[in-house]
Amino acid sequence: MRRLLRDWLAVLALAVVVLSVLAALGAPLIPGDPYDNDLSMSMQPPSAEHWLGADDQGRDMVVRVIYGLRLTLLMGAVSVVAGGGIGTALGLFAAFYRRIDGLVMRCMDVLLSFPAILFGLAIAAIAGPGVTAVILALTVATIPLAARIVRGVAVGEMARDYIEAARATGLRDSRLIVKHLLPNCFSALSVWATLRFGQVILLGAALSFVGLGAQPPTAELGAMAAAGRNFLFFAPHIAIIPSVAIFVIVLAFNVLGDALRDLLDPRLRNLGD
Amino acid sequence: MKRLLMAFVLTTAPLLVHTAQAQPADTLIVLRAIDADNYDPVRSTARSAGEALEMMTDTLTSVDWDMKTIKPGLAKSWTVSPDGKLYTFKLRDDVTFCDGRKMTADDVAYSLNRLADPATKSPVRWRAGQVKEIRAVDPTTVEYELNQPSSELLFQLSLFFAGIVDKHSVETLGANFGVQGFNGTGPFCWSSWTPRSELVLTKHEGYNWGPPIFKNPAPQVGKVIWKVIPDDNTRLAALQSGQGDVTQYIPYFALDGLKKTPGIHMSNQPNYFWDYFLGFKINKPVVDVAVIRQAMVMAVNRAAIAKAVFFGAADPADSYLNPGTLDYDPKSKALLPAYDPAVARKLLDDAGWKVGPDNVREKDGVRASFTLYGLNDPSFNRATEAMQADLRRIGVEMKIQLWDATIGWGKLATQDFDAFVMSYPYVSAGDALNLYFNSANTPTPNRMNWKDADTDKWLLEARTAVDPEVRKVALANVQEQLTEANVWIPLVREQLWLASSKRTIGARAHGLYGIGIYKGLDISLAK
Repeated sequence: MRRLLRDWLAVLALAVVVLSVLAALGAPLIPGDPYDNDLSMSMQPPSAEHWLGADDQGRDMVVRVIYGLRLTLLMGAVSVVAGGGIGTALGLFAAFYRRIDGLVMRCMDVLLSFPAILFGLAIAAIAGPGVTAVILALTVATIPLAARIVRGVAVGEMARDYIEAARATGLRDSRLIVKHLLPNCFSALSVWATLRFGQVILLGAALSFVGLGAQPPTAELGAMAAAGRNFLFFAPHIAIIPSVAIFVIVLAFNVLGDALRDLLDPRLRNLGD
Repeated sequence: MKRLLMAFVLTTAPLLVHTAQAQPADTLIVLRAIDADNYDPVRSTARSAGEALEMMTDTLTSVDWDMKTIKPGLAKSWTVSPDGKLYTFKLRDDVTFCDGRKMTADDVAYSLNRLADPATKSPVRWRAGQVKEIRAVDPTTVEYELNQPSSELLFQLSLFFAGIVDKHSVETLGANFGVQGFNGTGPFCWSSWTPRSELVLTKHEGYNWGPPIFKNPAPQVGKVIWKVIPDDNTRLAALQSGQGDVTQYIPYFALDGLKKTPGIHMSNQPNYFWDYFLGFKINKPVVDVAVIRQAMVMAVNRAAIAKAVFFGAADPADSYLNPGTLDYDPKSKALLPAYDPAVARKLLDDAGWKVGPDNVREKDGVRASFTLYGLNDPSFNRATEAMQADLRRIGVEMKIQLWDATIGWGKLATQDFDAFVMSYPYVSAGDALNLYFNSANTPTPNRMNWKDADTDKWLLEARTAVDPEVRKVALANVQEQLTEANVWIPLVREQLWLASSKRTIGARAHGLYGIGIYKGLDISLAK
């Protein structure tokens, strides 16, 4: 941890992530309604009354961005946790039961061959566009990535003596996987999850930007940027502010992920020393 | 600041177009946002088809700039029998098709029978009236016989759906008529079509029979290219850079700036009938409650929507129909509840709809919540969001679901929604009301599920009226009945502006069925 705190860029990224999460969690406590419009204030630039200006519906951009952040982070968190969870389980099974390894990983290869945007399109076509469609698309797109990472690490762990020793004591498979194999995959998984979080936020915003995600009037950063692009020439703040918010949060997760990788990967640590 | 930025955009936009080419001297380039799927007059209801078809075909009648007066077209004159069932049209005898063949009454009878024939499956067949027989009496006389009078027949016959086409061309091309070729009598002839890119028309040599509403009976340019540029900003830049000559597809946000742009001429048609409205399916839960509909009409700030959403390029609608429309009923305007959210809230309170913990009203376990469908379009997007916020303020929840046009029309033909938004062109009160409120037209275009014996009786009276005064009274009854029932929230009336470049002379906005240029006979290009 001390090592992490010595990296000022990582500290800054961590601060951004923590602040974003706090802002998202505390959104209901801030005064103002993200859906309350005042058309007479439509497209007002930043002012004392509206610090980040008002959008085309005359809604306060500060409130909208905070609520947008809340939904964007939620979409990212659910996708990474759900997709990561399922992928982890599949990766562990593939590594532990080698007879199903080929089947599981070929299925993952098939999933990997579809871009997340395509999943989004397919799911939106079936279930209709919305936040659920985006979360489903991102979850499905995340599963094979997690499975590959975990399987790779777990296969290496399976060759270690402690696994052999655990087997010799007569531990059940499930216990062996949960108590011994899984914890040893955590460091790789946490680095991947942090980096993936940034990617997922970007993908979610992109899906909302093309109209497959959050529907009006839901405050979501990608959808807000999309709504503002028609007014780029005369009310640029409507598109720029949510876009900058996406940029900052994605950058923060990427920097944090890199820092975690440097910290947790012994080879890189030695290189650094 | 906003004005400064807009001025910057409008002055620098031409620079963004790196290939500012000089256009051919005799070629008019018309810019538009979308293409049509085909150019067969009886198979398409799209304005984008109509705007080219108006140039490629002619109709028996035409409509003057006031949108009320019927003028001659291919028919020099006509008579109507006292019972209103027989129209006799005397045709011009100097008309030829683009292939040079002389047009006769047989061609007119063929084209109109094609529209009226159920086998054609035309979506606009109803516009032809209850046809008994359409026959050529001699080469210049056509008799149009009806089973019952059709009081607006002359208006309907002025629309592009009733354009006269060449039988040989239709039969030779079959399903590809209007796709691979076209032979009409209009001022311009089909040359080539690259779908979603451009439609090229060339001058019909010898054409000299344009409607009398134009100063010139003959076209003034040698070629017309209908060029499709879907993106608003690119289309705007193309007009200003001289890559296009004329367009009616002006993004709302750019209208004010364009009016002030040097070298751009703007023509406005005050008698333009293209309205936006929100319609309720009046037999669906929540929106079937009269007081809720009344409160919703009072809650929506139409003036603010016209200003903020349409940037002042549309006027707030204070009645179901445009006051300039034939058979408009001024009394119905007073019946439309005025904007007053406080009174709307009180109405709902008094009716027992109490605000729930989530700020949505409830009564007897029913939440004041409903689902709205519409097409995914920037104007609908923004207008529905604004209405949603207005309704939320009186405790009514409107869930919005906008669909891509490819599937949207299908969705709008279902019963899966409670309300919808739409915009539409019309030529008269009878045209609009018969289309939307005839019980025979459910589930679409009568998406309101409005089935009322009185309405049907009045609409039939109006359709079959021989005396225009009888028609006017019957249609006034319908307008008043619908306004009192709050079946719609009339939103805004779109304005028609035709923007033309420096070299374009004589571009004047017409607007029949939403078509800005109409036949464009007075448009010429500076040398």
